[in-house]
Amino acid sequence: MTASPVKPVSHQRARPLLGTLVEIAASGPGPEQVQHAIDSAFSVVETVHRLMSYHDPASDISRINRQPCHTPLSVDPHTWTVLHTAQLLSTASNGLFDVTIAPRLVKLGFLPSGKPAEGASYPGNWRHIGLLPEHRVVLSQPLQIDLSGIAKGYAVDQAIAALRQAGARTGHVNAGGDLRIFGTEAHTIHVRHPLEPTRLIPLLQLQDGAVATSAGYYNRRQHNGRDIMPIIHPDNGMACSSDRSVSVLAPSCMLADALTKVVHADSDAANHILPLFQAQALLLDGQQSNTPCRFIPAQPVPLPQREQNHA
Amino acid sequence: MNDLNRWLLVPAILLPAAASAPAFAVQYLGIEQARGVLFPSANQFDSRSITLTEPMRSSIEAQSGMRVRNTTLKAWQARLNDKSLGWVILDEVYGKHEFITYAIAIGNDGTVKGVEILDYRETHGSEVQNPKWRVQFTGKKASDPLKLDEDIKNISGATLSCRHITDGIKRLLVTWEVALK
Repeated sequence: MTASPVKPVSHQRARPLLGTLVEIAASGPGPEQVQHAIDSAFSVVETVHRLMSYHDPASDISRINRQPCHTPLSVDPHTWTVLHTAQLLSTASNGLFDVTIAPRLVKLGFLPSGKPAEGASYPGNWRHIGLLPEHRVVLSQPLQIDLSGIAKGYAVDQAIAALRQAGARTGHVNAGGDLRIFGTEAHTIHVRHPLEPTRLIPLLQLQDGAVATSAGYYNRRQHNGRDIMPIIHPDNGMACSSDRSVSVLAPSCMLADALTKVVHADSDAANHILPLFQAQALLLDGQQSNTPCRFIPAQPVPLPQREQNHA
Repeated sequence: MNDLNRWLLVPAILLPAAASAPAFAVQYLGIEQARGVLFPSANQFDSRSITLTEPMRSSIEAQSGMRVRNTTLKAWQARLNDKSLGWVILDEVYGKHEFITYAIAIGNDGTVKGVEILDYRETHGSEVQNPKWRVQFTGKKASDPLKLDEDIKNISGATLSCRHITDGIKRLLVTWEVALK
């Protein structure tokens, strides 16, 4: 590195995508190469946005949600991969993670109503999603899929892969708190205080890995006199309360993103689920000032030194 | 473990509420860089600032459903030699704690060609509502020094919802129809 005649150039840019601001930074030998790397990373985030948007009627997800039961539908390999990981997480968590809770979110006002047929009932859950070879999907019960709990993390992983492929030396991608970094330097990752979001708390140092944080600060709503966030407990169908922040470290940002929902839904069960995915979590509780922070699992599992670069 | 837990929380408790400095701020692109990213094939940007008349303003508000706060906007027509490629408009939006400047590219057909964020700033307090506080950041270039907390670069935890930008884009598309088409 010291033999390099030119000083590395670094750039960072941000665009509104995936319902948040997506920030992409990279460094490399020259400005053109770095901008090209960032362009290609944004391009893959846009692809994920287009394929997996719940709101866009032309997305793969809307097409699946409209598809009659028992009729297989071909989808993009990206969409199929995310659904496949979602199914692994649903199986491992016995439904604590479930991408079919959209109708419940509509009722609570987190997703717009009107798009799914008014008054339609969606009895299905994750068990009624079938994944077939050649990237086909089949539903065995009417249901509504919403990938917003996992697609951002996947987009981050894909953007990081695009940066590496374009020759970036270091880089990071942050999609509204789903964050992944690679490079030669460790960076301090901050989180927001769950009850005071402009207050930033240094959480950990990260050099090469993914962390996702989920909290209710910007999307909480009042429901029956309680602050809630768009995370539903599958056993009772209730929304989780919003005064804690959950950060998950995992080998991929897709896993980190999805596992924050598992920890929110049931932090005790998460003790057994996180190690299956080589993940660990850190909770900040805005209410309990005496023990405001705890680790899950109770004994953190060492993360692999470097994650594999494929999805 | 308990020591580590406590240590992690100490900075949060001791963190003083900054009086006027942004709590968190990033400068992404200057306007020249943003224009280049939005219209990479353009070789010329003609400055065409927009001053909205009162009827234009009412029309934009009625059609977009958004309030128009600024009646003067900086805009550029992107050209490749004599051929018009479209427009770049510079805009700003703010919420309770955040202030964002961004540029939108609009094609000659009136569709969005791209959006790039120039600056993103957050504050602990209520400065965002104060026009004087905002004006100190408007039109800053990436090279202008600003007192920022250099240590804070990576926040895991959502930014604001990007609803303000989405609303701003709606307003600018109507602005294009009314003032530039």
